[in-house]
Amino acid sequence: MAEATHHEGHHSNTVHLLRREITVEGGIYTVVFAALAVLTVIEVLSAEFLKGAIHDIPSAAATLQAIKAIILLGIAIIKSSLVIWFYMHLREEKPLIAIVILLPLLIATQSIMYLLAIPPLGYSV
Amino acid sequence: MAELTANQLHAVAHDDHGHLSEEEQNDNLKLGVWLYLASEIVIFSIMIVGYIILRINEPAVVEQAHEQLGVGLVTANTFVLLASSYFMVMGLRAMQQGNRAGMLRWIGATALGGAVFLIGQYIEYSELAHLGIILGYTESQWSTLGMRFYAPTFFHGAHVFVGVIWALEVLRRGAKGRYDHNPIGIEMFGLYWHFVDVVWIMLFTLIYLV
Repeated sequence: MAEATHHEGHHSNTVHLLRREITVEGGIYTVVFAALAVLTVIEVLSAEFLKGAIHDIPSAAATLQAIKAIILLGIAIIKSSLVIWFYMHLREEKPLIAIVILLPLLIATQSIMYLLAIPPLGYSV
Repeated sequence: MAELTANQLHAVAHDDHGHLSEEEQNDNLKLGVWLYLASEIVIFSIMIVGYIILRINEPAVVEQAHEQLGVGLVTANTFVLLASSYFMVMGLRAMQQGNRAGMLRWIGATALGGAVFLIGQYIEYSELAHLGIILGYTESQWSTLGMRFYAPTFFHGAHVFVGVIWALEVLRRGAKGRYDHNPIGIEMFGLYWHFVDVVWIMLFTLIYLV
């Protein structure tokens, strides 16, 4: 999406964003914060809009609910990745750090999938 | 110039007594924090999956709670936490540029953001209690929601509280010039604080919006 000029790293106030050079106090950190704010507004507005649609079209409620979950979780994952990549400086760390954080995420995701597969009252025999 | 061999590089990194260099110590400290955060991911995941199972099995209860609570307060609180994360990284940036006064201002703003978030959460919990959504068992339709909702959000709030205390300690040490030559203490706190922000990004979406 955006990157700070290489020669000054994350201390630069100049950021290359969509082939444009932007100078702003705080550089890449300010751009990321603006992106997080805009994404949050989009997220809340999408949730409210889709909630209204689900209410108005009950026949398509299940489909709309699934679409809503996918859109909102997608935005949340983008926001989380921005924080981890830029604010937590994962982009500057050794690959070992990425493994340290991805491994429990993988295990947690697998465990969640397993737990979601169990019916609420157990399997009927 | 000849390239350094692995042994020579090793010798550069250590002093005569075999002690780790400052850079190596910093890397080890950061790795320690990342490993701690990895364990936190697993703990929060367990709580989140408990909520997701309730969300799937009892959608009417969750939707009714959404209707009654609204998203205004929690959205404002989310912006406060996002802003505090920005203040945090700007504080680290200021210290890395040798600007101690700037660092103190930004980290002070971070602590304030965390405190405001906790006040917002207290107001929200008061509203929920008024609606009858409590932690203990009730005869109402909320009986299944309370624990699934409070476990992840309160656990997260406890992390914010610890973060505020940690920020105040960073301020105390920073004011004495502790980080003037090596800001690793601020960086470690930053990793923790940003992680708390990431967890909230996911909780906000999963619990309040989906």
